[in-house]
Amino acid sequence: MTSLASQPAGRSRARRASAQEGGAVRSGMTLAAYLFLSPYLALFIAFMLLPTLAAMGISFMRWDILGAPEFIGLDNYRQIFADPLFLTAIRNTFYFVFLTAIPMVVLGLALAMLLDQKLKGTTFVRTVVFLPYVVMVSTVGILWGWLFDKGTGLVNYYLTTIGIEPIAWLKDPHWSMPALAITAIWWTVNTNMIIFLAALQDISEELHDAATLDGAGPWQRFVYITLPLLRPAMALVTALTIINGWRVFGQAYVMTQGGPEASTFVIVQYIYLTAFQNFEMGPAAAAGVVLLLITLVFSLAQMKLMKAI
Amino acid sequence: MQDQRSNRAGKSLGGRTLAYVLMIVVTALWGAPILWMLVTSIKPESEIYAYPPAWIPDAPTLEAYGALFQRFPMLTWFRNSAVVGILTTVLTLAVDALAAYPLARMQFPGRRVIMGVIFATFLLPYELLFVPLFLGLNSYGLVDSIFSLTVPASANAFGVFLLTQFFQAVPRELEDAAIMDGCGRFGFFWRILLPLTKPGLATVAIFTFVASWNNFFWPLIATNSDETRTLPVGLATLVGGAGMSMKQSVLMASAVVATLPTALFFLALQRHFVRGIAATGIKG
Repeated sequence: MTSLASQPAGRSRARRASAQEGGAVRSGMTLAAYLFLSPYLALFIAFMLLPTLAAMGISFMRWDILGAPEFIGLDNYRQIFADPLFLTAIRNTFYFVFLTAIPMVVLGLALAMLLDQKLKGTTFVRTVVFLPYVVMVSTVGILWGWLFDKGTGLVNYYLTTIGIEPIAWLKDPHWSMPALAITAIWWTVNTNMIIFLAALQDISEELHDAATLDGAGPWQRFVYITLPLLRPAMALVTALTIINGWRVFGQAYVMTQGGPEASTFVIVQYIYLTAFQNFEMGPAAAAGVVLLLITLVFSLAQMKLMKAI
Repeated sequence: MQDQRSNRAGKSLGGRTLAYVLMIVVTALWGAPILWMLVTSIKPESEIYAYPPAWIPDAPTLEAYGALFQRFPMLTWFRNSAVVGILTTVLTLAVDALAAYPLARMQFPGRRVIMGVIFATFLLPYELLFVPLFLGLNSYGLVDSIFSLTVPASANAFGVFLLTQFFQAVPRELEDAAIMDGCGRFGFFWRILLPLTKPGLATVAIFTFVASWNNFFWPLIATNSDETRTLPVGLATLVGGAGMSMKQSVLMASAVVATLPTALFFLALQRHFVRGIAATGIKG
């Protein structure tokens, strides 16, 4: 994302030149620019900006679809934070983020490095790893729901062949979230892999060759050349992984419906339950704002951390 | 997934062997679930729970597919998903490309602010929007319509971001020459810029179509009849309650049917796709 800010020097020079052509040209360009932008801006305002503001507004109101909305200050926030189910949802979602974030980044990079090599078959393996990306969440849930079945699932079958006792996975509150995390990694690590692959292909070959001539081993080249040059990609991948982790819902909904014993009940399911099954719009909007704040805090902390390293 | 690099780790025989072993393990772990889905969907009932698991069915049959289409409005769900997916993709491409052109190639007041706001939505958890969106659409009677499933999704920040990168790479001289020839800005955009940036458009098309085809939460809220219900929402009803007693072969057949369009779409555009990603500012 850094490249957005830094324009190539040639372009800015051209722009300065065109800026001197006079006010008439410039205002013509401004008009043209906003004409091109107008469809996007209209949709953006209607379906993104206004709903965001409305969500914040509704979070301070009592609103049960039928009656007129009434301003009640922070009551909705008090209500959800007094609700043990909401606190459980925050804890569970955090656990999911914890279980997925590091493996998704590390494995994404490892896969990218493995498949960045000039070896026969890498194209095929990349396609295989990428294939789950096109599988929809209901299907992922149906498929892995069976793979994780205690009696007839493939996971337990292959685990028993190496001497591990069958695990009840989705029926056991201790294993349900790890099972969802494994599913999520299988399903979405490919996005991270692709971003890292694109970044790796940008690192010049000469750099590695020069380092090899200077006597650097593979590990030193990784630590001193690859990793530093991957920083922007690493920042993006980490941010997206964490934010998407906090937004988890579909898999939990299809595979476990939030159970067993609410062990996979997540924040978005709380929003769904509150708004669209109990029709309490205020607390649901408040839960949405809390989700926004959590992802915001995590993104900021992560940016700070990336700068510090 | 085309251009490959010289072998860094794989120079020695040992390194190469290790790489191949890892590649086989990765292929097995990522490929096996998909293969299992395909294999199970063509198994007769008697073979589904065979122990040990059989990777090759003895008597392959398509009866699960027959049962699936007979018992559930699969064709309707499928049609809805296709209509929603295609409309969303076309609309997103149009709106995003139009917006990306001035952001990439024109200088005007407010440009930085607009860029900043658009890219901030990258980090927005969309679930926040669903309550107000639902209430808003509901007050216009637009819930449970194709409109509610397509239009709100089409102002897509990622598409603008990606296309901006592509449009910036097109040389200035081309634009000057085109405008000098009386082509006009829109003429340049339509006849020169878009044809030159096909990999970018293909990448946005893949991302948008797959995202729309697989979108779950919003259609779950915004549809309440089979007339508008899309595949992901319809299929989710197969596993809840009544679905639990359903044969695994039928469930797996549903999985195959649901995955086929996006898999084919991806395989067809795959070449553009990786070039598209590689050409973005996402890289290091």
